[in-house]
Amino acid sequence: MILPFSIVNPLTRIEVLRQLPQPGKVLVRENDLIESFQLVGEYTPPPQFAIINASRELAIPPKKIARYLDVAVGDTVEEGAVLASRGGVGGRSCRAPFSGTVTGSGRGRLLLEAPSRPVQLSALLPGTVARVLPGEGAIIQAFGAFIQGVWGNGKEVFGVLRVAARNARQSLRAKKLDASLQGAIIVGGAGLDEEALAQAVEVQVGGIIVGGVSPQLMPRLLTVPFPVVVIDGIGKVSMSEVVFKLLRSLEGREAALSGQMPDLRRPAWSRLGNVERPYLAVPMPAQSAASIDRNAPLTLGSRVRALRQPYMGMSGVVVEIPRGLALLETGARRPCVKVQFESETVLVPHANLELLL
Amino acid sequence: MADEQTIESILVADCGTVNTNLLLLERVADSYRFVAQAEALTTVGPPWNDVSEGVVHALRDLERITGRKFHSGGRVVIPREGLMGVDAFVVILSAPEPLRVLLAGLVPEMSLESARRAAAAVYASIEAVLCREGGLRSPEETWARTVRDLAPDVVLLVGGVDGGASRPVMELADAIALGASMLDAERRPRLVYAGNAKLRPMVTKLLGEIVTVDVVDNVRPTVDVERLAPTQQLLEQIYVERQLYKLPGVDTLSAWSRLPLLPTATAFGRVVEYLWHREGRQDRGVLGIDVGAASITIAACLQGDLALSVHSQKGSVYGALSWVEEHGLEALQQWLPEEADADQISAVLYNRAFKPWTVPQQLLELWVEQAVVREMLRGAVRAALPTWNGNSADAMPNFDPILISGGSLVHMPRPGQVLLTLLDGLEPTGISTVMLDANRVAPALGAVAGIKPLAAASALDAGTLASLGTVISPVGKARPGETILQMRIVYEDSSALSVEARYGELEIWPLLPGQRATLELKPNRRFDIGLGGPGRGGKVQVVGGLVGLVVDARGRPLVLPEDPESRRHRLQRWVWDVGG
Repeated sequence: MILPFSIVNPLTRIEVLRQLPQPGKVLVRENDLIESFQLVGEYTPPPQFAIINASRELAIPPKKIARYLDVAVGDTVEEGAVLASRGGVGGRSCRAPFSGTVTGSGRGRLLLEAPSRPVQLSALLPGTVARVLPGEGAIIQAFGAFIQGVWGNGKEVFGVLRVAARNARQSLRAKKLDASLQGAIIVGGAGLDEEALAQAVEVQVGGIIVGGVSPQLMPRLLTVPFPVVVIDGIGKVSMSEVVFKLLRSLEGREAALSGQMPDLRRPAWSRLGNVERPYLAVPMPAQSAASIDRNAPLTLGSRVRALRQPYMGMSGVVVEIPRGLALLETGARRPCVKVQFESETVLVPHANLELLL
Repeated sequence: MADEQTIESILVADCGTVNTNLLLLERVADSYRFVAQAEALTTVGPPWNDVSEGVVHALRDLERITGRKFHSGGRVVIPREGLMGVDAFVVILSAPEPLRVLLAGLVPEMSLESARRAAAAVYASIEAVLCREGGLRSPEETWARTVRDLAPDVVLLVGGVDGGASRPVMELADAIALGASMLDAERRPRLVYAGNAKLRPMVTKLLGEIVTVDVVDNVRPTVDVERLAPTQQLLEQIYVERQLYKLPGVDTLSAWSRLPLLPTATAFGRVVEYLWHREGRQDRGVLGIDVGAASITIAACLQGDLALSVHSQKGSVYGALSWVEEHGLEALQQWLPEEADADQISAVLYNRAFKPWTVPQQLLELWVEQAVVREMLRGAVRAALPTWNGNSADAMPNFDPILISGGSLVHMPRPGQVLLTLLDGLEPTGISTVMLDANRVAPALGAVAGIKPLAAASALDAGTLASLGTVISPVGKARPGETILQMRIVYEDSSALSVEARYGELEIWPLLPGQRATLELKPNRRFDIGLGGPGRGGKVQVVGGLVGLVVDARGRPLVLPEDPESRRHRLQRWVWDVGG
C-alpha cells in the first residue's frame, strides 16, 4: 500500500526547486556551485500603468483632443509633467501621475507606463545547480538533513539552528529568547504564544520552527518579518519526537528554512509546480546520499506519523498490519495498523498515517 | 478499444482531487455488474506530479483483489485476453484546476447573471467581475489592471441584448484588450464573446489580434430570453482542452484509454438524466448531489432538461477555510451536537486541508466535518435553485429519486448520518427516495454510457446504488408537537402500522432495504406533501432502505433553536433518531 509521506531524514539528497513567480531570467548554469545568498534568477513584474482620459479632463471631444496634447507616443515624462492642456478662460491641464513613458493614445486617452524594478530570487540552499528550467528557475541539489512541515507563513531565511525548548512537548517561552539568538532559526518545541512571538520579533530571530500553533495566532504569524514553520499540525500539538531529536542533533548548523506553501484556500491543484511544502534543509559536507523512494510501501517496521487527533503529531513504528476493519470512536470501520508510539501501542487508520522517509 | 459489441469488461478510472477510484465493470450473465473496486491517493500534486501514478497504485490493488492483470508493459492492456486486460479503459477527472474565468458585462442582474450561470455548468472559478458600477470614474484602468494582474484563462464578455447597447460593451472590450496586451502571449486569456450580436465584428476586430476570440450566441438575446447552452458547451470544450488535457500525466492515461477524457461532473449529469428518463415521471425531477473535497456538483433534471451546476473551490475540504472567512465559525457551530470553541473547529479545518484524505477519529472532528458539508451544501443548493427549469428561487421542486455521491458524503460512518446531513443541507420537499452511491459508481456509469450505453443502464438497474430509504418532507407551518401527518404503512405481508408525525420531529419507521410498502397518507390541511397541494394525501408505493421510512416533520425552512443548549440537545436527538 502506498501512503503519503513526509521527509524527516538526517542525510538524504535534497532537491529544492527555486522557481520565479513569473517568467524571467535564470542567472545560473547547470553544475554551478552556489551559495545561499547568490541569485538564481530575476523577473520584472508588469509595468505600472495609468490611463489618462485627457478628453474628459479637458472637456474636449476625443476627435479634437490631438491639438491639445503636449506629449506624443514614445515621450518620456516626469511625474507631474503636463500631458495635455487648454488655455483661455477656465484653462485646464492633466498631468502625469508618475514618471514614465507615453505608450499609447486613442479615443481621447493616453496610456502612461513605467517599468517595474526587477525582483530577484536567491538560492536559499547552498549546493549545486542540478537543473536549469529556462525562464523559470533552477533545481538546487545538496546533501544533508531535510524536514518537511505542514504550514508556513511564506517567508524564508538561511541561518544557524538553535534549540530553545527543553523537549518536544514544551512550548517556546519568551524568557528563552535573548539577543544572542538574533538571526538564528529557533526550534521551539510544541508551540508558541503571543508573548514569545513578540519577544522573537524584538530580538530579531531569523526564524521559528514549532510542532503546532493555535489557529488564532496564525493571522499574526503572517505579519512577522521572519519565517515560521509548523511541523505537525494546527492546534495543541507537540512536536514529533523524531523531529525534535533530529533538530537537536543539528543544533549549531546553518540551515535553510522555507515557510512557503500553497494557498490552502486553493485546492490540491495549486500544489502543482513550484510550491510544495515548508521545509528545513541542513546542508552537510557529504557528497552522496540515498534519494527518497516516493513509492515506498507501508510495511512492518515502517516509521510513521499520525495525522489526526487524538494521536496527531506522534511518531512511531508499525508493529502489526491486521486484516479486516477496526471500529473507530466515530462508528466508522476502517482498515487500521498497529503503531508503537513512544508511550503506547494503538490501532490507527491507514488513512491517518504518513510514512516518515 | 474493442468493438462496442464485444465490450465485456470496462475499467473506469475516476481521478478526483483527493482520491483516484478504479472500478471494474463486467458482463455477468445477461447484465453488467461492478465486480471490483480499488482506491489510491490522487497523485496530481507533489511529490508525484503525475496523475497516472495514482492510477497505477490503484491498479496494483485491483490486481491483488481480483488476481488478474490489468497493467503490463507500462500501459493498461486492451483488449482483454483471459485473465489479462480489459476491453475498454475509461477516464473521468475532477482533479484538474478549474477554468479561471473573468466575467465582463453590463447589468449584474441580467447578462452578468446569465454569464455566471453559464460558467457554473463547468469546473470554473469566477476570479472577478468587470462591470461599471456607479461612481467609478475611470473603470477602464481598473478593468485593464484586473485582466493583467489576474491573467485568467478565459474572459467571458457579455452585455447588451441583440441590437441593443454598444458603447458600454466596447468600452469593456477596449479595457480587456489593453489588459491582455500587457501579458506575455502565452499568458493571455481566451475571449468568449456572448453579448450583443451586432457587435461581433467589432469585438473580433478589436481583440482578435491580441487574444483568441470565440463568438457564441448572446446569453441574453432579449431581456426575457436566456440562452446558455452555446456558452456552456464552449466553456466545457475550453476546460477540456486547456485544463483537463494539461494535467500532468494525463497524456499517459489518454494514451492507455484512446477514448476522450471526460469531466466527472459531465459524467455525473448523464446518470441523473438517465435516471429521469428511466423514472419517466413528468411531474417530478431527479436530483444528483456530489460533494467532493474541492467541488460540489448539483445535477437537476426536470421535465427532461438537465441543469448542471458545479461549485468549484466550494467543496467540503478546500472550500471550508474561505467559507469560514466569509461567513464566520458560528454557522458551523450551530450544527455541532457538542460544545466546541473556535480554536477547536479551526484546527480541524486546517488540519483537514493539509491532509484531505484523512478521516476523523474523534466524534467532535466528525461533527465539524459534517457541519461543513451541511453548510457548503446549503450554499450550493441556494446558488443552483434559480437555474432549475422554471423554478422560482424560493421553491424547492419535488425530486424523486435523490442521488447522493462524493466522498465527503458517502464516507460518513453511518447511513443515518448521510441522510441527516442531506436533509439539513438540502431541505427536500414532498416524497423522495434517497439513493446512496456508496462505491462512487454513478459518474463512472455516466462515462461508460458514452461507449456502451447498455452496460451503464444494466449496471444501474442491477441495484448498484443503495437505497437509504424514502423521505417524506411535509411543507407547512404548525405548533411544535402538533400532528401534521397521519400515515398507515401497509407492508407486503399485509401487516399494517398506523403512525403520526408531529411538527418539529424527525420520525423514522422500519422499512428494510428492498422491502416495499404502501403508504396511506393524510397530511394536515395546511401541509403539502407533494401530492397535489396542502391537505392532499393519497396512497403511494415506497421502498425501504438502510435508514428506513423517514418523515422529516421539522418544517421548511428548517429552523434550529437559538439557545445553544437546547439546540445541541435537539441535534443530539436527531442524530440518535437516525441511528447515531
